Amino acid sequence: MAVGKKGNFSKEDELMLQDFSKNVSAKSSVLFYGNAFIVSAIPVWLFWRIHAMDMTSSSILFGALTLVSTWLVAFAYRNTKHLLKHKVAAKRESAIAKEMNKKLADDKKISKKEKDERILWKKNEVAEYEATTFSIFYNNALFLAVLVFCSFYLLRGLTPHFNYVASMGAASGLIALLSTASSL
Amino acid sequence: MKSFLTVWVLSALLVLTTAESCANPKVQATSYTPADAEVLTHIAYIAEFTLTCSNGATNVNLFADINGAVMPVIRSQDGSKYQVSWTESLKAAKKGDRPIRLYDEEGFAAVKRILERDEDPSSVKPLVQIEINYPGAYTGPWMKSEHLASLMIFLVFYLAYSSKNGLTA
Repeated sequence: MAVGKKGNFSKEDELMLQDFSKNVSAKSSVLFYGNAFIVSAIPVWLFWRIHAMDMTSSSILFGALTLVSTWLVAFAYRNTKHLLKHKVAAKRESAIAKEMNKKLADDKKISKKEKDERILWKKNEVAEYEATTFSIFYNNALFLAVLVFCSFYLLRGLTPHFNYVASMGAASGLIALLSTASSL
Repeated sequence: MKSFLTVWVLSALLVLTTAESCANPKVQATSYTPADAEVLTHIAYIAEFTLTCSNGATNVNLFADINGAVMPVIRSQDGSKYQVSWTESLKAAKKGDRPIRLYDEEGFAAVKRILERDEDPSSVKPLVQIEINYPGAYTGPWMKSEHLASLMIFLVFYLAYSSKNGLTA
């Protein structure tokens, strides 16, 4: 690993560390938790209006399960994004390199090393964005599909309270579990 | 008990013998069929009508031919209105006009004789004929909302899944 004078990592090393780390930036974190909260809150409306659960008496149950589900869904987002990022980067590499080369072709002052670093940075940025949005899309779709299947068909014989707990638990638990797979 | 039965038989005979025949009958009818059959297993047909005779007859006993069965027509207490009603299962109820042939006592007797001979009673001319129109009833949505919601969600998930497979291929 190339270490600079003050022990700072080069841009390449930073990107590499970021790649192998599941940590997300603050902006991504806000995005993940915000989306997770919205998706976890949607079933409250479903169970309140369709399954006729009383809002006042079930508010604690709604609140608790929404928070638990938010955490699990955000967890799934993070994991899925981490797994997808490399795949996306590999897929988009050639197109990004082509675009950047075209953009920097007229700039004679830029060295090859600088060009390569910029391409790498752009690739990382695109992969990060696409993996984040796709992770949110995929996990939301899976969460809602499992929730609808459980609440409308599998658990329809249960009382609405048990139906809500079991459906939310199954949906958020399943997407969290599936996201821990080592590959997609 | 015996005296009660005697009174009943005599009253029935009195009614039958005092029934009048109707000349140049004119009928004014209203009908009802349910428009919403979501919670119904059968469709009810109800026709109410008044009968006006040129000879001023008011005590006219009528009999209705409903689906091949002839039965007495109910009258209101004051005798001015008549009502015919029957039900059919949802599956058997067909849209369109349902003619109801109404017979007086003579016509009823003629129909009875023909039915006993297993012949077609439509050859007997009815006193008057009315029609009930059944335009159909609403039996619920073509597809239940939960099935539609499930279908849409699974389609979206299929799209996500196939996109993911394309990305990871």
